[in-house]
Amino acid sequence: MSAQLSMKTETFFTIDMPYCERMDIRRTVFSGGEGPRVAVVAGLHGDELEGLYVCHRLAAWLDALQRTEPDYLLGSVELYPAVNTLGLDTLTRGLPVFDTDLNRAFPGSSGGPLPERLAAALMTELSGAALVVDIHASNIYLREIPQVRINQEFDDELVPVARRMNLDLIWLHGAATVLETTLAHSLNSSGTPCLVVEMGVGMRITPEYCDQLVAGILSVWKEKGVLAPEVALPETTHTPLIADDSNVHYLNAQTSGMFVASASHWTDVRRGELLGTIVSPFCGDVLSDVRSPVDGVLFTLREYPLVYEGSLMARVMARTGGRS
Amino acid sequence: MMRNLLCMTAPVREGFDIPCHEIGPKSSHPAVALVAGLHGDEINGVFILSRMADFLNSVENGKYPELRLARRVLIIPAVNVLGVNLRTRSWPFDKTDLNRMFPGSTIGETTQRIAYAVLEATKRSDYRIDIHTASADFEEVPQVRLYGPSDAERATSILFGLPAVMERSLSPVFTTTLMSSWKVWPGQSFVLRVGQAGTVQLEHCQRVFRALVSFLGRIGVLEGVQIAVEDEEICCFDKKSAFRVFAEKAGTFVSDRQVGRWVRAGQELGYIYDSFGGNVIEKVVAPVAGMLSGMRRHPLLFEGDLILRVNRKG
Repeated sequence: MSAQLSMKTETFFTIDMPYCERMDIRRTVFSGGEGPRVAVVAGLHGDELEGLYVCHRLAAWLDALQRTEPDYLLGSVELYPAVNTLGLDTLTRGLPVFDTDLNRAFPGSSGGPLPERLAAALMTELSGAALVVDIHASNIYLREIPQVRINQEFDDELVPVARRMNLDLIWLHGAATVLETTLAHSLNSSGTPCLVVEMGVGMRITPEYCDQLVAGILSVWKEKGVLAPEVALPETTHTPLIADDSNVHYLNAQTSGMFVASASHWTDVRRGELLGTIVSPFCGDVLSDVRSPVDGVLFTLREYPLVYEGSLMARVMARTGGRS
Repeated sequence: MMRNLLCMTAPVREGFDIPCHEIGPKSSHPAVALVAGLHGDEINGVFILSRMADFLNSVENGKYPELRLARRVLIIPAVNVLGVNLRTRSWPFDKTDLNRMFPGSTIGETTQRIAYAVLEATKRSDYRIDIHTASADFEEVPQVRLYGPSDAERATSILFGLPAVMERSLSPVFTTTLMSSWKVWPGQSFVLRVGQAGTVQLEHCQRVFRALVSFLGRIGVLEGVQIAVEDEEICCFDKKSAFRVFAEKAGTFVSDRQVGRWVRAGQELGYIYDSFGGNVIEKVVAPVAGMLSGMRRHPLLFEGDLILRVNRKG
């Protein structure tokens, strides 16, 4: 085999803006042999940066491979690190001007307004890939442990892959019709497997989570024959817990104020343990104690302190119940 | 009578309320529920319903001796109270869309609690009406929107006397809207789409105000209404009747045409200029003969933006 690894960054979608400029969206393609094609998508939301860093780390790893063992890329890798280009450049979660959540615009259509056109273009580019990983970074309010979220409609095919992604949690959720307009749902229901990764927090990067995911992605690529069997990879050491709607407990704020966590994210907590308090900047009183309802794992923890009555502060996965 | 649908706390300011009007004879549930301002920038609806509350309160106070409110009417001029004050479409704190939070819940996110309170107050009404506008970029002719309607809703939609009734299927994307949650309850549900966001369009508002008064008269909730017969016919349009024009080129779009007018196929309706060079790069023409039912109002166009919609008469 004499596959030659080549790398190029190219524009895959372009559209005219009202005054002079064009909006170009770029991807980087690493081409090797005739083996399977895989893709990583990030930055659908302009305030989620973890996936951008993952793409950088993957590109750095592939650059090194190009220098040392160019024959080991048996397939091809496409990185789409910054789909919501304008949102990322202007710190806007949605698509600027259109005030649209790009991940509610799929499968899109090629003749319509920008959000639909972009969605359709992305579907065209990604369809037929052996695996797409769509990386999200929660939002600016909540911090999440590295996890895969899987719609139960597709769990038979996706769970075995997700188990090998070196992540800490697989969360199986019910089929919500509103989520039918996501990239992952559109790809999965048209036969292209897509895993949704959620990790970290909006507007920040968590390098250790990113490296953990990079190791998992590379390992799955190797199993799929994108990388040669003899390639040396970073070690994968994480085994996921399995959560579903029966063993995840939500802690919503009883009152408005400032939530100050006392427990650490991604730790075991006991039933009744104090996870944090809600306080007021106007007085010295504690307005509300926030306690764990079960023995379990604190896998979601509020990062942004101000809460309204009802705001989510934490999620705990019970150690008992659920699917294993 | 004014009452608070919901009172909630806020992180640092004092609590906030969502007030509503309840007007007319007491009953276990209102006969008619009128809702607007789920989106904080859709001011036409807020204005129409606050004016409606003033009018019905005047009826109750005897200012119009020939009129009598026979049944109770609930009016929520604005659900997204803070959004109206801050001029934002979405819920200002977490930027979520209140009209994607239904049926809501008493223990979930703030917006879900608001949605729950709105649904509880309105779901048992015989007639439920949610007033919206298009975005701030687009203007819609005042119209009744039906989503997967029953025959009864189709028949009732004519009673508003608005120039257009637009029928759409209830897409799964709309599962979490107020309209979808209403539909699981007995009774009839309507969306009115009126003009564009971010402004009060007096002519549209007056027209819809009259439409609501006629409607209340025709369903027997407001007795003594003299129904003026509009000289314009009411057109019912299904999805197939809609012809949309999208921008082939980006630029600056200018048009002085008014929505609701009838246009000929090929009639010039506006121009796209090169925003830098200033030359006309595209003439925008009507794709078919019909009613100009919606029109772009924000001048700056991305390639692919919706410019206008013409509905062909069935």
